[in-house]
Amino acid sequence: MGNGTEEDYNFVFKVVLIGESGVGKTNLLSRFTRNEFSHDSRTTIGVEFSTRTVMLGTTAVKAQIWDTAGLERYRAITSAYYRGAVGALLVFDLTKHQTYTVVERWLKELYDHAEATIVVMLVGNKSDLSQAREVPTEEARLFAENNGLLFLETSALDSTNVELAFQTVLKEIFAKVSKQRQNSTQASAITLGRTQAGQEPGPGEKRACCINL
Amino acid sequence: MARALGEELVPSSELQDDSSSLGSDSELSGPGPYRQADRYGFIGSSSAEAGSGHPPVDLIRQREMKWVEMTSHWEKTMARRYKKVKIQCRKGIPSSLRARCWPLLCGAQVCQKNSPGTYQELVASPGDPQWMETIGRDLHRQFPLHEMFVSPQGHGQQGLLEVLKAYTLYRPEQGYCQAQGPVAAVLLMHLPPEEAFWCLVQICEVYLPGYYGPHMEAVQLDADVFMALLRRLLPRVHKHLQQVGVGPLLYLPEWFLCLFTRSLPFPTVLRIWDTFLSEGAKVLFRVGLTLMRLALGTAEQRAACPGLLETLGALRAIPAGQLQEETFMSQVHSVALSERDLQREIRVQLAQLPKSSPGPAPQPQTRLSGAQAIFESQQLAGVRGGTKPEIPRIVVQPPEEPRPPRRKPQTRGKTFHGLLTRARGPPIEGAPRSHRGSTSFLDTRF
Repeated sequence: MGNGTEEDYNFVFKVVLIGESGVGKTNLLSRFTRNEFSHDSRTTIGVEFSTRTVMLGTTAVKAQIWDTAGLERYRAITSAYYRGAVGALLVFDLTKHQTYTVVERWLKELYDHAEATIVVMLVGNKSDLSQAREVPTEEARLFAENNGLLFLETSALDSTNVELAFQTVLKEIFAKVSKQRQNSTQASAITLGRTQAGQEPGPGEKRACCINL
Repeated sequence: MARALGEELVPSSELQDDSSSLGSDSELSGPGPYRQADRYGFIGSSSAEAGSGHPPVDLIRQREMKWVEMTSHWEKTMARRYKKVKIQCRKGIPSSLRARCWPLLCGAQVCQKNSPGTYQELVASPGDPQWMETIGRDLHRQFPLHEMFVSPQGHGQQGLLEVLKAYTLYRPEQGYCQAQGPVAAVLLMHLPPEEAFWCLVQICEVYLPGYYGPHMEAVQLDADVFMALLRRLLPRVHKHLQQVGVGPLLYLPEWFLCLFTRSLPFPTVLRIWDTFLSEGAKVLFRVGLTLMRLALGTAEQRAACPGLLETLGALRAIPAGQLQEETFMSQVHSVALSERDLQREIRVQLAQLPKSSPGPAPQPQTRLSGAQAIFESQQLAGVRGGTKPEIPRIVVQPPEEPRPPRRKPQTRGKTFHGLLTRARGPPIEGAPRSHRGSTSFLDTRF
């Protein structure tokens, strides 16, 4: 939870988990932020989130991971969920081909609602169920490459690559943010009202745009 | 159910697993090899809050008697003494009688009577494979901590499958909404599948139309309405939410769609359902406003939430003691929001909805505001030539057995729409049900 003072972290990066219902988003969240996994975690109905602070080099970064319902009809009310996200994990279940074939639709949804510069990783989850695999690794990797996405296969159940997935996304975001800061100090222009991507306003500061969800 | 609160955010050391001398814990002989269930069936946690006063036994008996009396002449009760029903619902329906009262309150009993054999047909039909897959995936994820829903072959999950499948066949254009899972599960904790099904139908179609369908358009409208009410009734909270960027869609959908089953201690949830079935959606708004006030009502609380995450976290971390059923419900009932206020705000927000938004427009006028409205509409349908048209008539009742004097029924000059009064004879209500929503801790249902 966001109890940290300004000194505890330098950046806050909002990362969203998207993908079909049942692919394992909630468990990826709990595995990364609390090192927990449950076969019976409840269906996500509203919006869930959890945080974890990681060190990237010498910088402390607070990852704010958001999770929501994957079922189609929720998209009407969760579009606001993408606001301010700088990273996304697009998750499919590698034992259910159907959850992979809809990845393009999710990508479109993502780009419709989030910033174009958002860092996206395609994640094939449930790698522990290797016998039940329905999506070949190479196929998914190729798709990711062709679409400018990062790619990893994970297992929230046995922890494989979960840490790596989030760390990679966060590093990528950090690299972009650092470059942007470099550029903006060079240009020394006043950016129009928007706080920097990924940085949360301090206490008492108003958000640049009034959010009406 | 302290675990339901802030599961994601509150470190386990801060989760209150309130122990209480009430309920099942003290009555079990020592720690067993497996975790015991509490009086509501939840495994491993005591749902009784610290210091909660369950009403004394004789008060419960009194209320039971009142309800038995009211429900054995239900149509007369609803026609002439709805105010009493409303008051009794606010006090809480005794747990032994929810199974009897809920279907009456929400009109499910009438639906069931008017559609004999429908449910059986739905159950016997094959479900749409796509829905079946989705429903199947969710069965073990609804109330994983409740003993009734632990086993995939148990009648909890099977009942859930049956009821949810039946709904997708009954209303194929609506299909399945995941939030129907927890709602149906709570119904199944009290009712056999057919009764639970018709209650679900009423909730989805009459209490909250436009909530569970493919576009959930009414949720968006109610979110706007809720913000407007916040602005009027809790302006400082409203301002804070604006400042930190917390819009209603970040918390309201789970509250309202699931009727608070995921957010509050279970005994409080049941109390909310009692009044919700009696008074309608207005109760959801009152509960939401109360939660807002409890979480963010003071300047200190707001100052402790400098950002979006802290604010959302505060909503999920209200101390269990403040959510205890009696204290909480009395605050809910005193929220200054009348049905008229709510309707007015709905009209205002409806007019302000952008015309360009995708999906169908919400139709709040199709929403019925509780048991009385449902009763009247069902009576009217009966008069107009439903399956069993009856000519309305007023029958003078023969003198009843002497009883202590009581106040005259508050008819307030109402006319009796199609009232099916009868001379003293067999009660209107049907045969007693074999299944009771018993909450005895020993009643483990498998």
